[in-house]
Amino acid sequence: MHNEYKTYNCKILKIENEGSQSKNFTIGSPYSDFSFSAGQYVMISVPGFGEAPISICSDASESKEFQLTIRKAGILTSKLHDMKKGDVVGIRGPYGREFPADLGKGKTILIVAGGCGIEPVRPLILDAVHNPKKFAKVFVFYGARDESSLIYTKEYAKWKKVCDLNITLDNPTTKKFKKGVVTALFDLKKLPIDTITYICGPPIMYKFVIEKILKQGFAEENIFMSLERHMDCAQGVCQHCAVGPYYVCKDGPVFSYAEIKNFKSWLSPI
Amino acid sequence: MNKKQFIQLVDYLLKKDLVIAPQYDVEENLHLAELKSSEDMYLGTELPIDSWKFFVLPPDQIMFEYQGDKMKEVLPKGKIQILCGVSILDMQALTLLNQVYEKDPYYQTIKKKTIIIGTSLVPEGNLNKFFDTFEENKLEHLQFDIFLAVQKTGYKIFTGSEDGQRLLDKFGYKDYQHIEYAGPIREEGLDQPMLDVKDSMQNYHNQKIWDDLGNRCIQCGKCTIACPVCFCFRMYDQAYLANDSGKRSRCWDSCFYNEFSQVAGVAPDAPKHHFINKTAEKIYFWYEHHFVRTPESFSIPGCVGCGRCTRTCPADIDIKQTVQDILKARQQKINKK
Repeated sequence: MHNEYKTYNCKILKIENEGSQSKNFTIGSPYSDFSFSAGQYVMISVPGFGEAPISICSDASESKEFQLTIRKAGILTSKLHDMKKGDVVGIRGPYGREFPADLGKGKTILIVAGGCGIEPVRPLILDAVHNPKKFAKVFVFYGARDESSLIYTKEYAKWKKVCDLNITLDNPTTKKFKKGVVTALFDLKKLPIDTITYICGPPIMYKFVIEKILKQGFAEENIFMSLERHMDCAQGVCQHCAVGPYYVCKDGPVFSYAEIKNFKSWLSPI
Repeated sequence: MNKKQFIQLVDYLLKKDLVIAPQYDVEENLHLAELKSSEDMYLGTELPIDSWKFFVLPPDQIMFEYQGDKMKEVLPKGKIQILCGVSILDMQALTLLNQVYEKDPYYQTIKKKTIIIGTSLVPEGNLNKFFDTFEENKLEHLQFDIFLAVQKTGYKIFTGSEDGQRLLDKFGYKDYQHIEYAGPIREEGLDQPMLDVKDSMQNYHNQKIWDDLGNRCIQCGKCTIACPVCFCFRMYDQAYLANDSGKRSRCWDSCFYNEFSQVAGVAPDAPKHHFINKTAEKIYFWYEHHFVRTPESFSIPGCVGCGRCTRTCPADIDIKQTVQDILKARQQKINKK
């Protein structure tokens, strides 16, 4: 019988530092017909150190390898940070529902990211960069704590060719970046009413961003969010990631605001 | 089949297989345990303390063993086990677990070696919702091997699988009726009371019910252990003493524990983030699992109404009362409209 918990041993092909706390791992694909879409995640594990869900952050048109940007935050991620090129990690997946990127075809899209939330939406940005005619206009609102926590900085020049990239920092140390929160950007930029929004960030950010977006008059069906939850099985069995009637692992992690707004536990429970 | 013949059947099974059945321990508590003699078996309407899930979904189970970066699948190696005297409510619980773990190789390996002998006895103190009475037409939606419909003088015997038929044939009993399993979902779908509870939770939320329960619940998690359909688990790795080797296992988890919804903080030594914090949120999550998520995913009730949670709760939280409160809140809001 097929065992979905079985991991594939995948080689780490490249490790780069991203910001002061994260590393970007380029990993060889687990099997020959491996493919993924923006917003999906894999379960990554190291024997003895456990398993965790991490969103794939690389270009979805590349299937021979994929990237995971991982911040040092616990036992497994600390172990991963100690690993070297050529080491092997366990991978299963990809899992989950993707960001509906095609919905934005020919329209203005807005990507809102807070901190690590830039990782799951990076495939969308790279999609726009590689297919400059796909979207009418691409806005990126990206908020981070400080300059050292910004990631993918080497790519910004490339992103800017297609995207209107706006970065705000909680504590900027130089004049290069604006001080403030991402929500302030909504007052500076004019967005058409049929803009498709893709959001990923910490729970507190959703609350304020959604409020701003709804004020703009955007349809609830056009707001898509990727949620973070504790996951063990990634198949909708273990219950850790449940929100209302949904499982973030298989029904999400991407949900439209319309789908999830009535379930009190999506943001903060009842 | 008369009672004497049934005892003979149990004796016949005991000769070669592991039989698990309800029986009183020395302190007069009704537990599920390995049967040594057919005389010890209890067949009645008292609800056993344990759930049958112990035997199909072990509390702790090795999934893989590793040596270096090589992971090897470890499937459960138990011998054939016969679960004897499963009440109709617990049969429904096992049928639900079969659905939830349909694609799970660990569960299915155990299930293949498990024979279920059910009875039409309805435990006392059940919620009187799903099986207040036993009707033969409900059997086709339950998974079992042999079933005893209790009658005045003995049992009417049904089989629900080829394993069950084979077993009776070998024993030499022919007077059984075979029931073809028609899947877990009844033609009429979920019972109306179940639909009403789901609708109440989704559309007529009353915060006071949950705040009150939150004040009483002490988050001990005993209800999740007692419940025959609480099936949450977590996975963990554990190293062996020998170099670079160990196991990946899963064990029962409880949504009342703080770690249940825990995700990483911003740094290894930073506070972790929890999506479920207050006691009221936890108990709501538990009810939501049983009365919203399970019916939504499988179209079968996520609570079989056995009442084990009520019996085990040290804070006297009565599921029957809570369900009534949930329904009352809905009715009041409908009346207001």
